[in-house]
Amino acid sequence: MDAIEKKIVLKVENVSKNFGSVVALNDVSLDVYEDEVVGLVGDNGAGKSTLIKILSGVFPPDKGNLYLGGKKVHFKSPSDAQNKGVETVYQDLALCGNLDAVANLFIGREVCRNFLGLEILQKAEMDKQAADVLGRIGTNFPSVHEQVEYMSGGQRQAVALGRFVAWGQKLILLDEPTAALGVRETGHVLDLVAKTRKEKGVSMILISHNLQHVFQIADRIVVMRHGEVVGERLRSQTNPDEIVSLITGAVLVSQDLKEEITIANP
Amino acid sequence: MRDHGSKKIFRWVINNIVWIILIVIIVMFSITIPGFVSVGNYINIVYHSVFIGVLAIAVSYCLIGGNLDLSVESMAGFGAIVSAWLCGSSIFASGYQVNPYLGLLIVLGIGALLGSINAFFVLKLNINAFLVTLSTYIIVRGIAVLLTGGQGVSRLPDSFRWIDTIRLLDIPLMVYLMFIFYFVFQFVLRNTRFGRHIYIIGGNPTAAYNFGVNVKGVILRVFILSGMLAGFTGWLIAARTNGATPTSANGFLFETLAAVIIGGVSMTGGVGSLTGVIGGVILMSSIHSAINILAISPFVTEVVRGSLVLIAIVLDSLKRLLK
Repeated sequence: MDAIEKKIVLKVENVSKNFGSVVALNDVSLDVYEDEVVGLVGDNGAGKSTLIKILSGVFPPDKGNLYLGGKKVHFKSPSDAQNKGVETVYQDLALCGNLDAVANLFIGREVCRNFLGLEILQKAEMDKQAADVLGRIGTNFPSVHEQVEYMSGGQRQAVALGRFVAWGQKLILLDEPTAALGVRETGHVLDLVAKTRKEKGVSMILISHNLQHVFQIADRIVVMRHGEVVGERLRSQTNPDEIVSLITGAVLVSQDLKEEITIANP
Repeated sequence: MRDHGSKKIFRWVINNIVWIILIVIIVMFSITIPGFVSVGNYINIVYHSVFIGVLAIAVSYCLIGGNLDLSVESMAGFGAIVSAWLCGSSIFASGYQVNPYLGLLIVLGIGALLGSINAFFVLKLNINAFLVTLSTYIIVRGIAVLLTGGQGVSRLPDSFRWIDTIRLLDIPLMVYLMFIFYFVFQFVLRNTRFGRHIYIIGGNPTAAYNFGVNVKGVILRVFILSGMLAGFTGWLIAARTNGATPTSANGFLFETLAAVIIGGVSMTGGVGSLTGVIGGVILMSSIHSAINILAISPFVTEVVRGSLVLIAIVLDSLKRLLK
């Protein structure tokens, strides 16, 4: 079987998470394979964001395990997750408007040299790396040293995405990356996701409300409802109508879930 | 495009407004006020800005990181009375005097402790820094009065006062010290990871956390630094006034805040630099000096200062409207 040859990058095993009496995630298991884009869909409150926050190290699961590249991991913080190769792009783009593009690209990973106990920023080195990354994205910047808050929407988007182009190693989590964007910028983002994937062969999880986008770039679609995974489909073997019915719960599919998964990973 | 250009010019003007106001005011005072134009008076203006100057560094660091520290004034007052008390005439009339440098160390330690208490309430109990430091501002002032029974200490040894009494080119050493502080702290703010993290946290604390910045660690260090700078200011006050009273540094808070805001540090965090703040500090001191020379009622000072702060805040929000 080919399925055995493809390596699992991320394995989520029986993960549960409660907030007080609210069950946000209930026994969720999920595999992401090498060089694969998984679309994670579901209605509001289905548990997608909770899952992403666990995967990006914002908080730990109550129960269950995470494996990255076959090794069991506990993310102590977002920076811990980043150091282990998981990069996240947040829906609000999470930029510091008061800083320039270069500073934003390097938030939390500033290039420094120790001098008399002070960690001195290596600005020239960061400028060089930033020029390279922003060049690859292909957006024009009048000046990379202008404050991000004075930039256009597309330029800000490019800076936010620059982080994953530059730092994404094993797994990139895209949490509604197009939620706040116009049509043109959205197209740009989807192109960039496809391009990055081709160049780096990195796996991704894409959360989106827009099924059209999911169908455009995901290889496999995972549907969540009420904190549980209720279905997995290969993009080539499903259609938007079926996914919508899974999201809303119009069809009950749990009985043949196991079969679905084996089919889903040829 | 022309619109874009004029916006840029306007932005530049607003970012450097403090220096424009300072130059205009000094020229105006120099022309209209007899006795204002003299090297001695200019030195005096800078000399009298030292305390506010050092406190303004502390408040700027806190504000750029997104927190207000109102307690600097009473921490400075506490530092002044404690260092005068330890190193001055005698402790409990025992005849024993603490070495001035040991006194400084103790005062810095107290400042660090008070700063970490502020940080504890802000970070662990998640209380707004304004409310926390407003409380400690009042409490620390109260403790100073309580401990001393309202009594001041005067007559400090020369070994304590050299930082004020020794002059280089007719300028007291503490003036040089203030400028060295500005140089060093501006460098740290702009060129080190710690300084960069302060700006990131002030700009977007969620992004800072998500991207792996140790938000709590940085804020803790900023509050400790603020307390130590305030304690150090107290030590300088004791040296200058040859002693201290429990009300030393009274009224410094408002003047410091005014200098910091006019100097371009935004109340919303993440914006400003010490190169502007030093301008604000000297501006406040110049106005002080003019009012002194003219022997105008001190109450006018308050009106002028208050109006300046208001203007600065309006300019700050204009800047944000222009985005």
